[in-house]
Formats: sequence, structure tokens, C-alpha cells
Amino acid sequence: MSDQHGISAALAGDQAAWDMLVGRFSGLLWSAVRAYDLSAADAADAVQGTWLRLVESLHTIRDPDRIGSWLFTTAKREASLLSRRNRGERLMADTEHAHPDPARAGQVHPDPAVTVLTADEGRRLWRAVEEMHEPCRSLFLLMAAAPDAGVHQLAGRLGMPSGSYGPTRGRCLNRLRTMLTAQEATP
Amino acid sequence: MTRHPPSIDDESLIAALRLTGGHDPVPAHVSAAARAVYGLRMPGATTAQPAATPTPVGVRSADEPRLLRFAAAELTVDLEVTSMDGLVDLAGQVSPPPEAGTRVEVRTLHLTESRELSPTGQFAVTGLPPGWFSVVCHRPEHSSVATSWTRIRP
Repeated sequence: MSDQHGISAALAGDQAAWDMLVGRFSGLLWSAVRAYDLSAADAADAVQGTWLRLVESLHTIRDPDRIGSWLFTTAKREASLLSRRNRGERLMADTEHAHPDPARAGQVHPDPAVTVLTADEGRRLWRAVEEMHEPCRSLFLLMAAAPDAGVHQLAGRLGMPSGSYGPTRGRCLNRLRTMLTAQEATP
Repeated sequence: MTRHPPSIDDESLIAALRLTGGHDPVPAHVSAAARAVYGLRMPGATTAQPAATPTPVGVRSADEPRLLRFAAAELTVDLEVTSMDGLVDLAGQVSPPPEAGTRVEVRTLHLTESRELSPTGQFAVTGLPPGWFSVVCHRPEHSSVATSWTRIRP
């Protein structure tokens, strides 16, 4: 079923169509929120919030082809809010709303990130990681293999002080981004 | 065409690595909860969106009420949120006061509390579990208005 049909059917009251949307996008949303270093409970909360946004905005979705982008962007905002709240930033009862303006729900620009989140792009991403020098290569392998490990644990296994993990990861992500961009520039 | 402009953020890259790394599957309860969300849809209801609160809010603290405002085209729902013993109390004001016979439902993911709205548009619900909630005004002569889902933690 295409997203177009899925959304039309979900609007018409078809639970099975909704379940298909859930099946199709759950992995994307879970990864999106877990990238904010949320606990499993907080991540579940952020994903739940994303689906609640969709259920209240279903009738405003004008461009079903971009439903993936819309969900991804919404999940990232929910996760970012939770993460900021966990870090002690002052937020009003989580009512700084995380959803994109529903009036424009159908017009969300495709998030460039969503293109990375396909199987093909994922393989390309990992090929790039395999070419990286240490500590980046090990850092990414470990980060993906141990999603529940904390910074302290990850840093320990990489043999670096805890305080170095964040900045190192940031540098490695920058390198990876540059490599991907360079690949594109090469025909 | 550049498919990976520099604007792609760290979290998206991490998400991509983890998603395609395949070591962090979606827990079954997360998918089950997502499927259950469909049961909460309100066909035909207007969504009241969060709006600026009427008064400035001071330092966030468990003891101080938090004020939330949700606005739809023709009515506003103001909520005062307090929490005690890990549970949440809501005192609400719907303005302008809707027609007689309007019923208010406070919905959470697990339970729904129903209240008759007072003639002046007020209602209260106590002892709610923390988490996601939405307030729905069922008006006899007009379409229902539901506040956008909001997360409250004590």
C-alpha cells in the first residue's frame, strides 16, 4: 500500500492501514529519537508523541509522499525537547510544542536526513565508516552495536577519557559528513 | 544534485548509522503503543493549538501551577496544572463558556475522565497519571474541540 492510500484509508477509519504506517515508519522514528541519547523509556515517550501528532494532524496531510519526512522531523523535535528537559533546561511543562505547524503539515520540505535513512544509503554510509581512521571507525561501530551504552562505558571501551567522547564523536561525524559530500562531488 | 548537504545534523547521521546497523530494534511495546494511538483519533474534531499563556510563568517547580492555553477558532481552553504525589491535577476554563450540555473529556493514553462543564465554563480533574493528555469539549450543537496532545510530568 502506498503512503497515499495508507493515509486515505487511515482517515477513513481503517486500523489496518494505520498499522501499516506504524510498521513502515517505527524503525525510522525509533532511530531518530534514540540518536538524542534518550533512555529507552524517554525514547518510547517521544515516539508515542510523534504518533499522537500524526493522529491529530492526519486530515491536514496534503502531501502523503512526505509523510516520512514529516514524521522524522516531528520525532526529532519531540526527542530534542525531552533531551533538553533532561539536561535541566527550563521548559514549560513540555508545552513548547514539538510538532510542525499542522496547517503546513503537508508542505514539510523533505529533510535531507531522510534520504540517508534508506537501506542503500545506509550501506553507503557504512562503507564510508569502514574507510575511516581510528578512533572514528571503532567509535561508530561501537556506537551502533551498543545503543544502550552510556558515554562513560563507550569512552572506556575506546580507551579515552569520558570527557573526550563527545568532542571526538563530533569530529568523527564532521569527517563522515565531509566524506559523504566528497563522494557526491565525484561522478 | 547534492543529497547530503552540510545541513544534515549529527543526530540524523547517528540515527542513520544506528538504523542501518540493525542493533537497536524497535521494542514491541513501542510499536504496540503506536498502533493503539489510532484508537484515540477524534474524527471531525477541531484541534486547539497551544497559545501563549495569559500570564508570565515563573520558575518551574513542582509546587507551582503551570498555566497552559490552547486556542481554536472559536474557543480557548486554559488549564492550570498542579502535581502532587506523582499525579497530576487539572483545573480548566473554557471560554467563552460554551452552550449548556457541553461535556469535557480529559483523555490520557490509558484512561478518560468525563466532566459536565459548569455554566461558567469550568471543570477539574484530579489524580491523573503523568504523561500525554488531551482535553476534548463535546458540544451538543457544534463540532468537538480537542487540545493538541501535551506531555505533563510531575
